[in-house]
Amino acid sequence: MHELKLEDNPFFVLGIAADASRIEIEREAQKLLGMLELGFVDAQTYPTPLGPRPRTAELVRAAVAALRDPYRRLVAELWARHAPPAKPAEPPPPASTAGTPGLRDKLGWGR
Amino acid sequence: MDKPLYVGIDLGTTNSAAAVFDGEQVSVIRNAQGATVTPSVVRLDKQGRITVGTRARRFVEQDPANTAAEFKRLMGTEKAIEFPAAGITRKPEELSAEVLKALRQDIHDQLGVPIERAVISVPALFELPQSAATSEAARLAGFQRVELLQEPIASALAAGWRADDDGAGTWLVFDLGGGTFDASLLETRDGLLRVVGHDGDNFLGGRDFDWAITEHLASRLSVVPRRNNPDHQAALRALRLAAEDAKIELSRGEKAQVALAQPLSIDGQDVDVDLELTRGTVEQLCAPLVDRALDVCVRLLSAHGLAPGRVGKVVLVGGPTVMPMVRSRVAARLETQIAEGHDPMTLVAQGAALYAATAGLDGRAAQVAVPAGRQVWLQYPAVSADLTPHVVGKFVGDNPPAKIKLVRGDGAWSSPEATVGPDGTFLTSVTLLPRRACTFAIEARGAGGEVVNVTPPAITIVQGLTIGDPPLSRTLGVALANGHVQVYLERGAPLPARRTFTHHTVETVAKGSSESILRIPIVQGEMTQADLCRLVGTLDIGGDSIKDTVPTGSAVEVTIELDRGGRLAARALIPAIGQVFEHVAHLLVPDAAPEALDAALRDLRRQLMELRADAFRHGLGHVIEKLDRLEARMSEAERDIDAAHGGDADAAQRARRALLDIDGTMADADLAKKWPELDNEARRVAISASSTVGLHGTDAERSLLQEVLAAMDKARKEKDAAELERQMRLASRLSGAAFNRTPEAWELYFEDAASEISRCTDLPKANRLVTEGKAALDRGDTTELRRVVKALWALLPEDSEARRKAYDSGVR
Ligand SMILES: Nc1ncnc2c1ncn2[C@@H]1O[C@H](COP(=O)(O)OP(=O)(O)OP(=O)(O)O)[C@@H](O)[C@H]1O
Ligand SMILES: [Mg+2]
Repeated sequence: MHELKLEDNPFFVLGIAADASRIEIEREAQKLLGMLELGFVDAQTYPTPLGPRPRTAELVRAAVAALRDPYRRLVAELWARHAPPAKPAEPPPPASTAGTPGLRDKLGWGR
Repeated sequence: MDKPLYVGIDLGTTNSAAAVFDGEQVSVIRNAQGATVTPSVVRLDKQGRITVGTRARRFVEQDPANTAAEFKRLMGTEKAIEFPAAGITRKPEELSAEVLKALRQDIHDQLGVPIERAVISVPALFELPQSAATSEAARLAGFQRVELLQEPIASALAAGWRADDDGAGTWLVFDLGGGTFDASLLETRDGLLRVVGHDGDNFLGGRDFDWAITEHLASRLSVVPRRNNPDHQAALRALRLAAEDAKIELSRGEKAQVALAQPLSIDGQDVDVDLELTRGTVEQLCAPLVDRALDVCVRLLSAHGLAPGRVGKVVLVGGPTVMPMVRSRVAARLETQIAEGHDPMTLVAQGAALYAATAGLDGRAAQVAVPAGRQVWLQYPAVSADLTPHVVGKFVGDNPPAKIKLVRGDGAWSSPEATVGPDGTFLTSVTLLPRRACTFAIEARGAGGEVVNVTPPAITIVQGLTIGDPPLSRTLGVALANGHVQVYLERGAPLPARRTFTHHTVETVAKGSSESILRIPIVQGEMTQADLCRLVGTLDIGGDSIKDTVPTGSAVEVTIELDRGGRLAARALIPAIGQVFEHVAHLLVPDAAPEALDAALRDLRRQLMELRADAFRHGLGHVIEKLDRLEARMSEAERDIDAAHGGDADAAQRARRALLDIDGTMADADLAKKWPELDNEARRVAISASSTVGLHGTDAERSLLQEVLAAMDKARKEKDAAELERQMRLASRLSGAAFNRTPEAWELYFEDAASEISRCTDLPKANRLVTEGKAALDRGDTTELRRVVKALWALLPEDSEARRKAYDSGVR
């Protein structure tokens, strides 16, 4: 569910437009993986609306996998096309820190 | 430059095969007997000499005690296989290693090159310990490096590679082997192969056909041998082998004679066997088994919104699919064509060889290249669907050449000259010829235009169908003390993969105390409740291995890593004491004592009765249907347990895994029973998420929520509890993210946590935190308030019952 994080959007990670074809996606990913492997400096970060983020081989591979899945691609496209929020979003508290079930339930957090 | 050799091996339960791919052609390896398949049978004689394959298979009947078959089904268990004549025992992976060694030798003989690297296929439903055992077998057989690949992906790759029309569209691989059935739905587009989904039955295959025929033959004998009688095993074995031979014969002929040279000895009587068997009888006996496989296919299709008839092609794999009846039944029920021209016995090995190319795993021993020029590191796809892939490179050392150019072997194309950066890096791309292996010479020039020799002098890229990283088949996570699961890697995540999360200990681990253990259970499954997932390994940190006492609430950074073949590694770092722990206890597939199986079956039957009564009370038709199917599977398991009492270890394992599966389905049914509750909860989540996201969400969150709500609706209509849970989780996350953006959020969390401090494990600390929180609230310092709230949450204890169900997890 990492596509929920704006800055991890597969299109940002791969540095490509939201209308890229499947082949373009694979080609770009393969290039980036090669560059990362050989330590190219320009491959090591990518720009996002929230500032540059470190790019790793894992992120690149996860991005390709996400874009191969039609549903996940749709979601990623949606996010990439929408204007980014003005200020950084607070990440939700990790699921592991349960402890106030009553309140969280009231807020629609489920379990 | 000589051609690469990519090696693929299908290590089957009944038969094994090997194939090589040289970049253009796939060829199947023949063994010393000239056959393309080698029976996975190993014999150890009195002198401890080993025979493998066809020659060993001849002894299955003559000397069954010293001839082992079907040991793949015991992979990952501790079961030792005895060879009484030699007085030796061997582990299943050691026997698999013998088969691999034989195949490795056959490849060497045929190609004249020793092989050190290969891709070995494994069933899609293999558990982690079974994959680990397969890797170990390869190591024992002398392979330096192997990658594991799921069998259905291998078949699909091989079938798609051959497809003349690019194989575009949706298709199904129907793999019915000796003991397992796998159905996989795939899609190819633009030369990319994607696994859409798969399903299967671990306990369905040719051997079931054999038993059905054997029981039929047995019933026609003057004295009927029984599977649960240890004294009848020899007679049944002989009969089963004859049944199998007749079955294979009937794939071609209409009639077969089942005649044994020696009479069977049953209960002290000599029983002659000379029976006629017709194709019609065999078809009648086996049809229900084929239908079971077809039920799985239909279930798979409908899970992806497809009706029969919507599949472009079906690829048949495995020995039993040679039977004409299987072909016609599949074509009729799935209303589609059978893809022709594939060898069902070697397709998996061929696909594994093609995959070895994709993974860049040349089978030959690494050549010690004498650098004949400037060394350059290159990154490029060994196999590419893209006709114009990138080539990325970096020269080693200072003062790299200035320009670089790639020239295709046919001389008809060369790349524009690319500039090499001062750090030695360059980026260019090449143009491939469709469906061909292209070699490109690397030409470099210095600043003055002089030619610079480089190592390697050339590269080869194959154009063809590719498959992305293999997807993780089941979600992997850590069980938490509160009974929930922290998901590390979701189903479908591309392998290899790695993820780190920080947890906190729920109790103190005292230095030097061997009783005090911090347990981190690693589980696999799609459910949010730990007890509904399977434990696949544990990382135990004992008090006797730590440098210092680790107090409650200490941070533990856990990293879980999986390689392409699904091998698991886990690591825990405890920053407070600066120690790293990485010994994962790989759980063995547990031993299956017949008595324990009896007890488990009794237990499941009792649960089933309760569930059924409940389902009737609530009028849940779909649950009742599910339970009926379970009932049938229990009867099957019972037959296997019977055979287990007769000493059949394989049947025991089969029963164990069947019972586990039944247990899992029952948990599902249990969830379905709680449906009304879940359904209500879903409605509540939907309403609350809509209002929170509506008020505080971004545009993107709002449109995403629409999608999630639609998916929830669908799951509710289809009564798919697991999917509904997943979507609810998504909706809750969206609403949480939106809500957390408001200043009041943390104020509310704080007030709630503060009201519960009497339950906290460390009251003085909790009181201190509350004071700090109040101050932060007054100052309007949200960042500080968040820190305080999280610290307070960490002090609230977990319920001990939940913890027990979470495999005694010591973290949250
Ligand atoms: N011509 C044939 N007609 C019918 N059945 C056959 C034929 N040839 C082989 N079989 C059956 O096929 C089964 C073995 O199939 P196969 O070799 O595909 O299995 P496997 O790959 O070893 O098993 P698994 O995939 O489960 O590991 C045996 O039950 C055998 O009797
Ligand atoms: Mg097979």
